Amino acid sequence: MEEVRIGVYVCWCGNNIAKMVDVQDVAMEVETLPNVVIARDYKYMCSDPGQDLIISDIKKHRLNRVVVSACSPRIHELTFRKALEHAGLNPYMFEMANIREHVSWVHNDREEATRKAKSLVAAAINRVCWHESLEKRSVEINPATLIIGGGISGITAALEIADAGKQVYLVEKSAQLGGFASKMCLTSPFMYSTTQMIRAKINKVMNNPNIQVLLNTQIEELSGYLGNFTTTVSEDGRDLELKFGNIIVTIGLKAFDPSVIENYKYGILPDVVTSLEFEGMLKAGKIETRDGRIPRHVAVIHCVGSRNATYHDYCSRLCCKNALKYANMVRAAIPGANIFEMYADMRAMGNGCEELYSVTSKKNVMFLMFDQHNGLPEIRKAGPKDNCDMIIELDEKLSGERIEVPADLVILMVAIEAHEEAKRLAQVTGVSMCGNQFFIERHPKLDPVATTTDGVYVAGSCQAPKDIPDSVAQARAAAARVLCTISKGNVEVEVTTAEVNEDRCCGCQTCISVCPYTAITFDEEKSVSVVNEVLCKGCGTCGSTCPTGAIRAQHFTDLQILSQIDGLLEKSMELKEV
Amino acid sequence: MEFEPTIVSFLCNWCSYTGADLAGTSRLKYAHNIRIIRTMCSGRVDPTFVLESFKKGADGILICGCHPGDCHYHEGNYKCLRRYHLLKKYIKQMGIEPERLHLEWISASEGKQFAELVDRFTGSIRELGPSRIKEVVNTLS
Ligand SMILES: Cc1cc2nc3c(=O)[nH]c(=O)nc-3n(C[C@H](O)[C@H](O)[C@H](O)COP(=O)(O)OP(=O)(O)OC[C@H]3O[C@@H](n4cnc5c(N)ncnc54)[C@H](O)[C@@H]3O)c2cc1C
Ligand code: SF4
Ligand code: SF4
Ligand code: SF4
Ligand code: FES
Repeated sequence: MEEVRIGVYVCWCGNNIAKMVDVQDVAMEVETLPNVVIARDYKYMCSDPGQDLIISDIKKHRLNRVVVSACSPRIHELTFRKALEHAGLNPYMFEMANIREHVSWVHNDREEATRKAKSLVAAAINRVCWHESLEKRSVEINPATLIIGGGISGITAALEIADAGKQVYLVEKSAQLGGFASKMCLTSPFMYSTTQMIRAKINKVMNNPNIQVLLNTQIEELSGYLGNFTTTVSEDGRDLELKFGNIIVTIGLKAFDPSVIENYKYGILPDVVTSLEFEGMLKAGKIETRDGRIPRHVAVIHCVGSRNATYHDYCSRLCCKNALKYANMVRAAIPGANIFEMYADMRAMGNGCEELYSVTSKKNVMFLMFDQHNGLPEIRKAGPKDNCDMIIELDEKLSGERIEVPADLVILMVAIEAHEEAKRLAQVTGVSMCGNQFFIERHPKLDPVATTTDGVYVAGSCQAPKDIPDSVAQARAAAARVLCTISKGNVEVEVTTAEVNEDRCCGCQTCISVCPYTAITFDEEKSVSVVNEVLCKGCGTCGSTCPTGAIRAQHFTDLQILSQIDGLLEKSMELKEV
Repeated sequence: MEFEPTIVSFLCNWCSYTGADLAGTSRLKYAHNIRIIRTMCSGRVDPTFVLESFKKGADGILICGCHPGDCHYHEGNYKCLRRYHLLKKYIKQMGIEPERLHLEWISASEGKQFAELVDRFTGSIRELGPSRIKEVVNTLS
């Protein structure tokens, strides 16, 4: 074996790491370890000068292994692997020790944190000694794209990709395209007509030869990987096999069902309606009570199911500005009506929203504030002497008084929830979900449309409550990412697959039974198992099952991980004894 | 001086490691005793990794994978679960308290749960006291 020459780089991450970990001490300590040629600390390793430092050291000190001790490998492993490549080193001769997310940000004893950092770096040094050069494999990208969900996000992404001349399969669960945008009348804050906007877009989709729309269709199962996915859908009772290289998931949102909130008597009092139902009234052109009268008092209640520990902690983001939209539309339709906005905090943000708020407040709209922690407003049926259908009682926060407000129509600004299909689709596509069942992007700041599954992107309100402009922007971003991979034509994939050592394999075929991708077959002639490296996804399960140790899970070999454990514990023990 | 256990943890890349990262991003604080090793899937956690860790001085081992049904490779976590039960029996025969090995499911969004789990597990190992297996191995060899 060639002489192992390791360079170790301990990052300060500004103050993020340096505040809690004595980075200089870590660098000094690990420099004494076997095979370490040089160890340095530096302010920002991921910056260009930081990477240049590694590149020049590789050349100057003939390094053949690199360890960076910094943030999570999930953030910058690829950055540093690229730096190694620039310096002519195989990118897999690299290992990261996570001393930010797993050390400096989670501990508050500097001495212990420093000790822990040392043992993690020692483990990485031990591991990297056994790293091997791996050759990247390149796969061709099928230029077709599958889009799941035909709301404004799915439609936008489909048009973007189809206009670039590429095939799109647009799969929609319901009988029509458009999603929620086609259920509303005008959009806040600029009051565009959604009907016109969405209808024009749907027409474009329907007439685009590059888009195949599949209505009343669902994706039950998916096979393959980035560049080459396959699924089977049924069209008019016939099975249809679709092949595509990328997927964009745009399954959108669901509106909160307010009947669980007793105070609001939704489903009991006929003129308590949801924002979605009110959009229906606006679309039909008449604002009236269930029995056809013009309401004299209209109340709009904010945060229904949002920002409330019992329902959803998060803010749904759209409802405040929509509530303002409703106040304006009621004012225009019924000039003499009393309009009440009952809000917890006014959070109409974004372009044009503050302006909409000031315009609304000049239109004789009464703004009443309540505090969710002190109880929600309560709606009850009015008595025979009251000059209205319902009474809303609330503790008005600004005046500090308990007041009663008349109402003939109450609009509940219901929360935006993740779609009920989200969990199932997360499993089918391998995308992660947050606790609220919205899909999680690969990185909240740096990679907002990709997911942890290569080749699968998310856009629109299935990722977080979003308005139309934000959904459209994200859909276009996802489409651009997909078009990028298509125009490259092929993509380099992880080569950390499994490998069978024929001499060691006893032919027991245990590995075949555990592989989730049927990537292993049995060579009857040689009486050994063989891994198909195109099908193997590198989970490593076979490696830990094989009784004879014949399987090597590349880049996660027994030797690499055992050395890592050694480094970890030896350093921990040594430091403990000191 | 109070006994400070050494804990080795194996986290799968897709859910649990990301969950641990989230604990960091959210600046949640937890016991410093844990040392994390990343594997692609909990199914990759070879029994020898566990045994070797005990042999080299770990007082407790925490394995985390994706929740049932959420494994990035469909069912690696089920393989891990099966192996876990066997391993617990096995280490008991070797004289290691089975409670020193623990498996739990942590999703990418469960940073808080991860931090609480680490504190809970560290506490339980602190109560158990140091593992004696390292001394035993040392005397044998
Ligand atoms: C009452 C209300 C009023 C609103 N008012 C405004 C406003 O004034 N201005 C504004 O900017 N925004 C407004 N919004 C927000 C707006 O509706 C969303 O931003 C927008 O609809 C998001 O589009 P989308 O395509 O991401 O999701 P959606 O519109 O929800 O579309 C998702 C589509 O995916 C389909 N689907 C779901 N599951 C599957 C599956 N498993 N397989 C295939 N297809 C599936 C659904 O049937 C649907 O057609 C409002 C929302 C509500 C609820
Ligand atoms: S946007 Fe307004 S109404 Fe909607 S949840 Fe946020 S604060 Fe409440
Ligand atoms: S489990 Fe190991 S020994 Fe058995 S067939 Fe597979 S590679 Fe060969
Ligand atoms: S590493 Fe996983 S996917 Fe690859 S052959 Fe082994 S069990 Fe199958
Ligand atoms: S990937 Fe997390 S358990 Fe398999």
